[in-house]
Amino acid sequence: MLILSRKPGESIVIDGRIVVTVIRLDGEMVKVGISAPREVPVHRQEVYDEIQRNNVEALTENRPRIPRFVTKQSSATHRKPAPALLGH
Amino acid sequence: MITAEMTETETCQTEARDIIRLPFGLLGFEHVKQYILLANPAEEPFMWFQMLDDVKRAFLVAPPASIVSDYQPDISDDEVDFLELADPADAFLLNIVTLNRNGSATVNLKGPIVVNRRTLIGKQVILNNAAQYSLHHPLTAS
Repeated sequence: MLILSRKPGESIVIDGRIVVTVIRLDGEMVKVGISAPREVPVHRQEVYDEIQRNNVEALTENRPRIPRFVTKQSSATHRKPAPALLGH
Repeated sequence: MITAEMTETETCQTEARDIIRLPFGLLGFEHVKQYILLANPAEEPFMWFQMLDDVKRAFLVAPPASIVSDYQPDISDDEVDFLELADPADAFLLNIVTLNRNGSATVNLKGPIVVNRRTLIGKQVILNNAAQYSLHHPLTAS
């Protein structure tokens, strides 16, 4: 791992298009600003990791039967299939 | 219109064959970029977000309005630009449901799949206000 020392206000350029700037230090917290092209996803590592893990757990095979759950829509009053929701 | 290969147990009630493209895939499934949304009236409000090229593999999803009444997802400007959402009404949200072995289920409210219903381009978005929502919002059995 490359380790660089930076002062608040100083930056690091990655690949000529991503700029990471140390904004300020506040006790143990470091505020970091990131400028990146919009096709570059930027996430906090821990949120990214937990959502990724959740996705892996949520994947199903052969579409299992769905147990009955309480939901906000009654199928009797909202007979609107998915195709109507997309690409109209 | 594309006809997806159906599994043998398929009841053929599904109609939505429009391909939803996720240029970044889902987190953990970055290489899978094309999905179709399968809806069966008997399963409302749940739907299956199925991998186009792997008909056996699907995520159970639900629109957030069917799960919680006060969902106010804060989607960053960058995501709005990327998805070309000119109007909030362009956004179609799906939240991933996890079915547990014991029959319980939870819904991810932190990272919905946001689809532009005009372009059918989507992305799993980590909300700016993800901290106020649960990754494991429990569904109540009925």
